[in-house]
Amino acid sequence: MQRTSTLLRNGLFGVVTIVVFFWVLFPFYWAFLNSIKNPEDTFEPSWIPFLQFRPTLAHWRSELSTPETLHALLNSTMISIGAATLALFLGTLAAYALARFRFNLPSNGTITTWFISQRVFPPVVFVIPFFLLMRQLQLLDSVLGLVLINATFTLPFAVIIMSQMFREVPKELEEAAWVDGASHLQSFSSVVLPLVAPGLAATWIICMAFSWNEFLFALSLTNKSAVPMPVIIAGAQDTRGVQFWFVGVRVLLTMLPPTILALLAQRYIVRGLTLGALKG
Amino acid sequence: MSRASEEPRAADPPKKRAGRARETERTKLLFIGPAVLWILAFTLFPLIYVIYTSFYSFRYGQRLGFVGFDNFARLFSDENLLLDLATTLIFVAGTLAIEMTLGLGLALFLSREIRGRNLLRTAATLPIFATPVAVGYLGITMFYETNGPINNFIRLLGGSGIPWLSDPSWALVSVILVDVWQWTPFVFLIALAGLQGLPQELYDAARVDGASGFQQFRYITFPLMQPILWLIFFLRLVEAFKVFDIPVSLTNGGPGTATEVYSLYTYRTALNFFDYGYAAAQGILLLVIVMLLVSLIFSRVRVLYEEQE
Repeated sequence: MQRTSTLLRNGLFGVVTIVVFFWVLFPFYWAFLNSIKNPEDTFEPSWIPFLQFRPTLAHWRSELSTPETLHALLNSTMISIGAATLALFLGTLAAYALARFRFNLPSNGTITTWFISQRVFPPVVFVIPFFLLMRQLQLLDSVLGLVLINATFTLPFAVIIMSQMFREVPKELEEAAWVDGASHLQSFSSVVLPLVAPGLAATWIICMAFSWNEFLFALSLTNKSAVPMPVIIAGAQDTRGVQFWFVGVRVLLTMLPPTILALLAQRYIVRGLTLGALKG
Repeated sequence: MSRASEEPRAADPPKKRAGRARETERTKLLFIGPAVLWILAFTLFPLIYVIYTSFYSFRYGQRLGFVGFDNFARLFSDENLLLDLATTLIFVAGTLAIEMTLGLGLALFLSREIRGRNLLRTAATLPIFATPVAVGYLGITMFYETNGPINNFIRLLGGSGIPWLSDPSWALVSVILVDVWQWTPFVFLIALAGLQGLPQELYDAARVDGASGFQQFRYITFPLMQPILWLIFFLRLVEAFKVFDIPVSLTNGGPGTATEVYSLYTYRTALNFFDYGYAAAQGILLLVIVMLLVSLIFSRVRVLYEEQE
């Protein structure tokens, strides 16, 4: 009796796990499948390349030789790296201050909450001021403009994740350096930073992924030279049709970089997503 | 740590200690200053600018003149806006209900299963970080009515195809489903992390006392998970109100205005009709709605942040 119920339980676990995997992975596989099918095979119910249909790399080749796509990939890369680096720089400094020093008015908790609250604002509120501001600064349709904006919206992640990292570094290590005559700046850069290097890398990666995926500001502030990947998919007329093969290639080109990045930062994802409330 | 620093520091001459304190003060501001200034420049200043803009009327992007609260008065007589607000509320309620139920249910069900858990966690991160716009376009091919995989599957089971994107009500369902695909893993991941943080001793004790599985859930898991449930609810609520990418890419707000969410309406007011003043007023209304809801919830979530201070 006990045995059968355990068996049943394990069976159920197995089924649920498989369903979950299927649910999560099917759309990715579907995009991949479409991207390597010849147009005439698109609507055939065939699922296994080589066995059921002859795969082709023609769509990948043609998409990757389109100047607009290459340009958008480059823009997306520059925006992500620029914004993440800037956010990490500003955020790490602030995080160290919040983790190591006492602020009285306002208190550390209040400052932290204030940083988190940036994530609450609906971004559409900022479309008008950013549009007018960027027009004033002549930064419309520029990579720099999007770097500044994405750095702003990923800064809270950097502050929160890094301040937790710093709290985990024992204070005694630094105090030892101070006794030896090091200044705060020296102990920070030569004692603490190396210890939190993995956290720094993960934060950088998470900020990059979020910046890569940003769409609203990219759409409202670019029209040609600074257009990143999310906007180029949205702008291409043939994406919204039955040319599944193009959709497959573009969709994968857009979403593979951030998903792969996220996998690299796996250990820090829960921290990041909950804005530091849970360590995961 | 053999070199505990307290003693030698206490022995420092007073002048040196005062110098150290001053250095600390300076370093503190030096470290936090740039980030604070940055946020002030890029969020507080724009917010003030939005409020300022909302008091002016614009035509085709040209500022005409000060109109007081006229833009705000317009909000409440604009049927399209109110309809889009209703659409957004349906989206928020629908996605939150489905995602929380599914995500929590899965986390509870799988939390004791050790095998495959890491693999599941890895799989769960994929949708969360997939570019939402790309997911929306992928959705078009998935929901494709004549020959897409979803309708084909339904037909295989003997049903008839569903007008996923051409029927107004189904289109909203599709938008909700895509969001559910993307964000249920998020609820799952966080709930799982929360469940794993619960003290195992309590369960051992309960089992010794003969508590049933349901009793353990009712008297241990549920009360202890409460702050985390509120956290998930809070984070999803805030994000759901921001919804823009998926309706734009999947349905472009259509058919008609069936899936035109609040942010999309504001975006169109601003950048298709160049009515900056009115769009600014719309943004402020949305901000007020979100802030009101957040202020109701945040006190319950704060505990989680303060535990770490």
